[in-house]
Amino acid sequence: MEILSAKNISFTYPLEETPALRNVDFHIHKGEFVVMCGASGSGKSTLLHLIKQEIAPHGQLAGTMFYKGEPLHNETPPQDIGIVFQDPENQIVMENVMEELLFGMENKGYRTAVMRKKVAEMTHYFGLSHLLNKRTSELSGGEKQMVNLVSVLLLDPDLLLLDEPTAQLDPIAAKEFIQTLAQLNREFGMTILMVEHRLEELFAVADRVLVLDQGMKKMDEQPREAVAMLQDHPVLQYFLPSSSRLFLHYESEVIPENIPITVREGRDWLRTKHVDSREISQIEEHSAPYLTLNEIDFQYKRNTSPILHNLSLTVKKGELLAILGANGTGKSTLLKVIAGILRQQHGKIVINGEKTKKLESGAVSYLPQNPALYFLEDTLIAEYKQIIKKHKQENGEAQIHNLLSKFGLTALKDRHPADLSGGELQKAALLGTILENPAILLIDEPTKGLDPFSKRMFGDLLGDLRNQGLTIVMVTHDVEFAANYATRCSMLFQGDVSITESTSDFFKANTYYTTVMNRISRKTSATPVITMEEAKDNWHVQKKSSSS
Amino acid sequence: MSLRGVRSFHPAVMLLYYVVIIIGFMLSQHPIFLMVGVGFLLCTQFLFDKGRQLKSWLGMILTLAAFILILTPIFNRRGNHILFYLFENQVMLEAVIQGIMIAFTLVGILLAFISLNQIITQDRFLYIFARISPQWALLSMLAVRFVPLLKRRLMEIEEIQKVRGFSVTKGSLKERVKNGMLFLQALLTGSLEQSIQTADSMSARGYGQQKRSHYQAFPMKKQDAYALLFILITGCLMIFGWWLEDSVLSLLPVLETTKLEQRECLFLANWALLLAFPVWAEGKEVAKWKYYLQKI
Repeated sequence: MEILSAKNISFTYPLEETPALRNVDFHIHKGEFVVMCGASGSGKSTLLHLIKQEIAPHGQLAGTMFYKGEPLHNETPPQDIGIVFQDPENQIVMENVMEELLFGMENKGYRTAVMRKKVAEMTHYFGLSHLLNKRTSELSGGEKQMVNLVSVLLLDPDLLLLDEPTAQLDPIAAKEFIQTLAQLNREFGMTILMVEHRLEELFAVADRVLVLDQGMKKMDEQPREAVAMLQDHPVLQYFLPSSSRLFLHYESEVIPENIPITVREGRDWLRTKHVDSREISQIEEHSAPYLTLNEIDFQYKRNTSPILHNLSLTVKKGELLAILGANGTGKSTLLKVIAGILRQQHGKIVINGEKTKKLESGAVSYLPQNPALYFLEDTLIAEYKQIIKKHKQENGEAQIHNLLSKFGLTALKDRHPADLSGGELQKAALLGTILENPAILLIDEPTKGLDPFSKRMFGDLLGDLRNQGLTIVMVTHDVEFAANYATRCSMLFQGDVSITESTSDFFKANTYYTTVMNRISRKTSATPVITMEEAKDNWHVQKKSSSS
Repeated sequence: MSLRGVRSFHPAVMLLYYVVIIIGFMLSQHPIFLMVGVGFLLCTQFLFDKGRQLKSWLGMILTLAAFILILTPIFNRRGNHILFYLFENQVMLEAVIQGIMIAFTLVGILLAFISLNQIITQDRFLYIFARISPQWALLSMLAVRFVPLLKRRLMEIEEIQKVRGFSVTKGSLKERVKNGMLFLQALLTGSLEQSIQTADSMSARGYGQQKRSHYQAFPMKKQDAYALLFILITGCLMIFGWWLEDSVLSLLPVLETTKLEQRECLFLANWALLLAFPVWAEGKEVAKWKYYLQKI
């Protein structure tokens, strides 16, 4: 049974000339799990918001949408469409979790007895009981997003819309969130339409994939067909699951049914193959330590528990060190201590042989988790000019223009930072930090909210900068990103660095906390690798000869 | 604070109670009345949470009180009794007493607000005011919630910009002011973006489409009726005392003695009774626990 359909939807924002959506058609049946993807600016969020009438953007809408046979955008919006947004924080209205869960039901005038029953049932099912009396500001990102989901589910939606709900979450929380959605769909028949670019896990649970490109529907296929069709797309090919990309790289004849989309299918495929692999040689670099942290202790208040305890760390010149670790292990705090934002209670920090008691500006640049906070001026170019003036750099103008074209931001230089997409904003802030001409660049969680293509662009830029001799320390949750771009990785545990190894050794030694490619290639005939690039460089994949 | 104590009373009753207490502090301009008032409120705070909430406000309250105590005698020179000369200016006994009274009034009102804040939580506030104007009630709640968010964000901006060399604590005054303005501007643009998303999330969950219901229903119970009666009687008596000028110390034209006459003692007792209400309600619970533990 059809629950939602759209006929020739076109939409133009006020004061814009090009339409955001052009002649989009689609149907969604009851109980389906549909994933909508596309590069940034492809109109996917616009389309999702148009379905939820209460928050539909203003503009010129042509064509009609039908929900359960009734045309949408009439007088009263349907009551059983729920939506969860991207940012976990900004969706929360009330001060504590219980009130937040009740907010929607109170708006709709439910009776107390009904609310009590529903909340009891839902919190038990989703395991939120221990959070009920907490303040919403104390929750982690994953917990916040789960509260947002449940508070929408409490209103009994028949159609659940999700607008990149895992973009701001760490990979583990994101995986959990997607599992919950899959369960809702499988066991309760919830119809789900989800905009997302973290597709590694989603392809396996989705029934259909809708692809939008520049406001037009490019594709509406089952996941395996979608993989086959997207393999040569300049941007979207990077969105595909690692298993599929590996398969597509080595198989010349592609039959959609055979394309692996999960880790398990990928491994099974690899086992049918004979892989000749070159010995992966490791180039040990012996450069001098550039930044040294010695016995650092830090705690926020005297009576709170220490965040960092007796932490020592060495960073070499020209390397990209990734610091990984779970939530709350003090990763961001460590970065702030190095940046001089927070002052350690014990221990010293030495940069290039000089002890930094007091931070002289210019030694360190810091790219924050939320790059929007980096900007003070109205346009990018104004911001950059100000940096140059402050640091009194010679031929700064030329440098700005060089970097702008290198970063692909020239066309955006007169924009307001708030009008940029996540990937553009991250690059723009990186450009600013480079102009500050630092000895060391500190980056906090750079891949939060970035789509795979933007991640790749950003990672390549970091690689270039590193090759030019910049030393980078990055804190991240993103195992894949660290594996692709870091030279060494450190694991932070209970306020101390538990291990620092070269990236390849680090991930190969881990069983659970490792990349998808490592999980696919482990225990196969191939030499284990940690990234797609490594596999492409070193593997020669053949059909297994029947004799062996 | 136990749920059987003060919080078990209807929020509207408790709101009325604190309004009466605040009126009491403003009307009863007599040092003894005011001191008794502050004493009882401190006691209430201690019973609520052993003074934890109070501690975070203490610094501000004491500085405020000290300022008033010192400044009033300096600027107010009306009176008949000269205590001493300060830089060739007379310091009057009347002005000193006036300073003490203003300070105590202010401290009392602040303490009343702190208690009120602990008793009338967000959902109770919504419950009371949503009946009068649901839109404004929720809007004001959101505005209040916005303040800590803004504070946190501003701190983040300051931290990040400190690394970039923009600071409001270092450099020339002109630079600092300029940086401060830039920070605020960045803060506001960012926060507006965020609040649009919050508004979307609210309307997506049906806010403002129909009459809201309330999960926490607060029915008027018998004890609320008794409490209301008690507050009205003691409150009226308190206002009557002010009208008779029994609970007011007259400073001018002639300074009255601070000693209390018989009728004035009666009104003081009434004031104390009114103030003792939360102490009784909470103290009962504390005592119950003590007794309960002893029995085991």
